[in-house]
Amino acid sequence: MAEMSTDNSQASAGIDLSQFYQVFFEEAGENLENMEQLLLELDLTQADDEELNAVFRCAHSIKGGAATFGFADVAELTHQMETLLDKLRRHELAPNAAMVDVLLASGDALKAMLARHQGAGGDAIETSELLFNIRALVAGEAPPVPIAAPVAAPAPAAAAPVVTVAVSSGQRTVELQVGPLSQPSQADNLLDLFKEITDLGTIEALPDAPELAGVRRFKVNTATPESELLDLFTFHVAREQVKFVSLEAPMAAPTPAVAAPPVKDEGFGFFEPLPGEAAPAAAAPAAPAGKDTGYGFFDNAPGAPNAAPVASPVVPDASAAGKPQAPKVAPKAEKPQAAALESSTIRVSVEKVDQLINLVGELVITQAMLAQNSRSLDPVVYQQLVTGLTDLDRNTRDLQEAVMSIRMIPMSTVFSRFPRMLRDLANKLGKKVELVTQGEATELDKGLVEKITDPLTHLVRNSCDHGVEMPTDRLAKGKPEVGTITLSASHQGGSIVIEVRDDGRGLSREKLLKKAREKGIDAPDSLTDPEVWNLIFAPGFSTAEEVTDVSGRGVGMDVVKKNITSLGGTVEIDSAEGYGMRVAVRLPLTLAIMDGMSVGVGEEVYILPLSSVVESFQVSEEMIKTIGGSGRVVEVREEYMPVIELEKVFNVPRFDWEHNSGIMVVVEAESGRVALLVDELLGQQQVVVKNLESNYRKVNDVSGATIMGDGRVALILDVGSLVRRSRH
Amino acid sequence: MGVMEKLDLQAQVAREYLTFRLGDEEYGIDILKVQEIRGYENPTRIANAPHFLKGVVNLRGTIVPIVDLRMRFGCSSAEYNAFTVSIILHIGQRTIGVVVDSVSDVMEIPAEAMRPAPEMSSAIDAAYIRGLAQVGERMVILLDIESMLMSPDMGLVD
Repeated sequence: MAEMSTDNSQASAGIDLSQFYQVFFEEAGENLENMEQLLLELDLTQADDEELNAVFRCAHSIKGGAATFGFADVAELTHQMETLLDKLRRHELAPNAAMVDVLLASGDALKAMLARHQGAGGDAIETSELLFNIRALVAGEAPPVPIAAPVAAPAPAAAAPVVTVAVSSGQRTVELQVGPLSQPSQADNLLDLFKEITDLGTIEALPDAPELAGVRRFKVNTATPESELLDLFTFHVAREQVKFVSLEAPMAAPTPAVAAPPVKDEGFGFFEPLPGEAAPAAAAPAAPAGKDTGYGFFDNAPGAPNAAPVASPVVPDASAAGKPQAPKVAPKAEKPQAAALESSTIRVSVEKVDQLINLVGELVITQAMLAQNSRSLDPVVYQQLVTGLTDLDRNTRDLQEAVMSIRMIPMSTVFSRFPRMLRDLANKLGKKVELVTQGEATELDKGLVEKITDPLTHLVRNSCDHGVEMPTDRLAKGKPEVGTITLSASHQGGSIVIEVRDDGRGLSREKLLKKAREKGIDAPDSLTDPEVWNLIFAPGFSTAEEVTDVSGRGVGMDVVKKNITSLGGTVEIDSAEGYGMRVAVRLPLTLAIMDGMSVGVGEEVYILPLSSVVESFQVSEEMIKTIGGSGRVVEVREEYMPVIELEKVFNVPRFDWEHNSGIMVVVEAESGRVALLVDELLGQQQVVVKNLESNYRKVNDVSGATIMGDGRVALILDVGSLVRRSRH
Repeated sequence: MGVMEKLDLQAQVAREYLTFRLGDEEYGIDILKVQEIRGYENPTRIANAPHFLKGVVNLRGTIVPIVDLRMRFGCSSAEYNAFTVSIILHIGQRTIGVVVDSVSDVMEIPAEAMRPAPEMSSAIDAAYIRGLAQVGERMVILLDIESMLMSPDMGLVD
């Protein structure tokens, strides 16, 4: 089966997340806008819980998405924001201007990060200050770095010494203490971590210090800020158990104070601004006499004793930080490009689109009315009017098509769930299966996509469970060990065809017939292959030798068929024993518009879904036979089928008594056929389906209504219900 | 207390009613429930529906059921002529049309002008009559059209 591994192949192993990036960027962008708006509107003195929750949700959604797609920097920053927001919404902290400033600045940084990931390029966004500030705020302090001092400019001089606290990057070597741990080997994970993330720097284990029982020591040489390291480490060890102790001065500004031997006292060497310890520490630089408090603070090292000299080079940085966004945004030149990416799509609620579709539907009807009424006009006299109406006709069609296309979404949204499902399933069953998808870009109405997912899932499961053989069996049959299941979608005329193919064992004619007879279904040997395959749609039919929890209870295929039929679609099966099978699902492109055949009964007009019409022919009275006096049947191609007189079903009033209905329309639904007796066939047209339930109620044997060219309402018949009616 | 309730209280003092004729009787319904008034057009019949449900019409793309109130109230004749109109009502989330002989007036009826309807058997359940109002020489029957149309015996909802 060579054609099975053609284009767009997507192995079951990996899902390419990149196709969802755009969605993430859009959503994140929206969330950021939202958050900014909410933050700006936030009333600090009387913050509304709902607003705080909304801001929190924004940050949370961005974090979730970023983590999924592997944007670690975005996830990290939003995580910190979330911590702060969480405290705010729990009323553990009262919101203040500084927090809003920091959050806004973080939002800007996030925007820049997103723009960068989106391809705007530029350097990595430096966020250590922001992170530090957020942490300080979480701990209930004033932000050490004046991100946006109320009066931005004049602050730097006073703030200068403080700034040094935050500038923690730069290559340096520190001692990392982890513990006390119940299982010291846990800490070895950190070694692996450094192996995995090469940018982090180097790590080597130090001999355990006798005075620190259960504490592992490492020597770390890194340029990464502690905050980031801590966050990475938390995957392996609890945050409280990690301590940074300075080994030597940072290369940037060696000071005697820090060159002191490793500190033993537990209280020292804390980098994390824990509420208790950190408060004085952050305040320390303000008081130049911070002798002991600042001691051992890694970051603070260049601080207290010689604040002035160190501070000065940092001042520009501080003043820049005074303006919320300035230093953190990607270079300006790249902005327009990012903006273009952002504005290429808009998200609109489905209701709005549906409203648009309804309006266009009305326009189509009005146009049809105009066209009908203008037919009697003399084209010579009303030439301009007629030309105008022709244009209107074309424009309406185009408009309708364009509007309908808004609701269309690609099949990939359905297909994308299968690789994972199939992988799990194959593992469970001990089979080897590869999934190939084709035509994922084929578009389908959103409403249909939602409804087709379950039936398709069932078909794919069936293929994996019943179709594809165990690897050993496959090899024995000379097939490749790995079975292939192909999902494909394509447009054919006005419908979409979705196929599920497998190269498994296929359907067995003998087994199916045997099974059918066991179930009491009449199954003569004369049945054609397609008829035999259709047996699997019979209720309670299952050919699996044993019932598994995957499939095989026999409650599947009949439901699949029913669901697809209710969507106006059909299912076809093709199979070759030993080589595989193919299930083709044919669906209309949209539920809102369907091809209908209008039939006249008395003075009334009814619409039949064209997809269910098999054939129509003229009958004479003598062709209709009765059974038991009342049951009427007609013979069509050597098959007797029940006759349903629409006139009687709908109590159509008659004024022309001598008239005889003379047309039979054979319709098919739910694997049954009936012949409908009607007066005349009026034509075929596309009809806009409206439901009756929105203002009225369900009507028997009617699935909906539509508006005809003359503005009148015509009822659309529910063929399934008519077929059921014939059985009772 | 919601805004709607406040409005309701205010409205109770003096509500505006659309009055219409069914045979020889004059009825009034809350004007706020009325969406529009249209000439009668032949609806599409619905099989096996109650006799007073004339069918459904197309109201600018919406399918709207039409109830002939004259048939519902057992009027002696229900003719369709140039004065016959459909009052399109907006009730809850639904749009429903009712057929009446003719529309007379929009009038403000103060609460004190309303008298309770006596308990008696008639084609209309007394529960759907808000009251009777004397306007000059005429008696106007004020209907609670919403609860009447939504009641199960109308068969307009599932």
